[in-house]
Amino acid sequence: MKPEREFGLVEILDRILNKGVILNADLIITVAGVPLIGVSLRAAVSSVETMLDYGMMDAFDQKTREWYKENYSTADIPLAEGEEIIRRTFGSLWYSQGIISSWRPGFWYLTNKRLILWRRVPEGALLDMPLDEIEALRVKTEVDFGNEREEINLLFREATVRIRVSDVADFRGAIKKAVTAKPLS
Amino acid sequence: MKETKAGIERQESETEACAKGVAEGSAEGRYIYSVVTGSEFDFGNIGIKGCSVYTIPYKEIAAVVHSCLAEPYDTENDDEAKGWVLEHSYVIDCATNAFGTVLPFSFDVIIKGGNEAVRGWLSQNYDHLREELYRVKDRSEYSIQIFFDEKPLSEAVLSQNPELSKLKADIDTMSKGTAYLYLRKLDLKVKEEVSKEISKLAEEFGSCIGEQADEVKVERKVPKVPENYRDKKLVVALNCLVRDEKVETLGNLLDDINSREGFAVRFTGPWAPFSFARLKR
Repeated sequence: MKPEREFGLVEILDRILNKGVILNADLIITVAGVPLIGVSLRAAVSSVETMLDYGMMDAFDQKTREWYKENYSTADIPLAEGEEIIRRTFGSLWYSQGIISSWRPGFWYLTNKRLILWRRVPEGALLDMPLDEIEALRVKTEVDFGNEREEINLLFREATVRIRVSDVADFRGAIKKAVTAKPLS
Repeated sequence: MKETKAGIERQESETEACAKGVAEGSAEGRYIYSVVTGSEFDFGNIGIKGCSVYTIPYKEIAAVVHSCLAEPYDTENDDEAKGWVLEHSYVIDCATNAFGTVLPFSFDVIIKGGNEAVRGWLSQNYDHLREELYRVKDRSEYSIQIFFDEKPLSEAVLSQNPELSKLKADIDTMSKGTAYLYLRKLDLKVKEEVSKEISKLAEEFGSCIGEQADEVKVERKVPKVPENYRDKKLVVALNCLVRDEKVETLGNLLDDINSREGFAVRFTGPWAPFSFARLKR
């Protein structure tokens, strides 16, 4: 068989954009790697890895990170004067109202004054509980999809607040220590 | 294309349109298409955006360039970008016709400075460039993609593997429910055997092809292929650097593979040695 000389456009683009000599010298001001041509054209011919290899996605990555920085503020929650964060951990809170019942995820903040479940986007407290209003604290084992799982139960304003965190023992200990000012039943 | 003895000064005046702004103080650059074994040559206005393409020689090697601003070519317009890439490809083809196998450059490689900067770069890298040009001399890159149809290969596996043919015969006597479960098991085993067979064949084809080529590179990416290959599965995709006189033998070898039941070979080329041109720092 004789080699075909009919190449597809994509095959030509692939070679010229992804192969061929690329210089690596101070004289060179530009190489095919940086986004010199429309991203969609490059995307048509090269894999994302290649784009990453050539630093193609840097700008995109930068933008994404900035967006995250703005929207998922890493700044901690608003604190009152003299309030200090003792623990911060990812977890969830059982929410049940009418036919809705689910675990709402967020960051648990334990301060020397409050226990707060903070949601990043949209920003806000899903639960804001002054420590001196916690009436009781216990650890309970619940069955969840066939697995036993420990959760922290608090009695707060005559209702049970169910809390899940990854390190139950540590978080319980920390809460207990924080509320020692007020005797727990 | 026309050869000229008028020298680089004239070429530079011709490329004024391409290097607009140089006079106003923006930095000057040279867009590099390829490096060739050759001398002074004027290709005419065949470059990107109709720029005048010429060579900058140093000893017996030369860079194929056009004069431009020291700024990358950039556009948001896909069609324009594709046009540029095709023009780049065309210049490489013209340079190959004029000088034999070239070292093809990637799109948008621009050296800052004028002809002297390029000459300086050629002289600094002269030994290596000369070696590379020698390595690809009288050779071209060919792309080989071998595909197969799953069905005939599965059937062959099923009839040749005694364990599997027995399982198939047993299934025929089973109740519907049991047979269903065993059929799935059989399917999985056949697939496993087919993929074993495929990797064995890929190795076998690769080593036969390797004997006809100076260098072989396995393409890791699944190549974009024409419509008529879409329903087939890829066994292996290779880029090979092949001596001109070996192309026919390679073609015959590929004919043998192509004529096997269920197999299809796509053989394209000659390309400039895009996959084999290297430049050490």
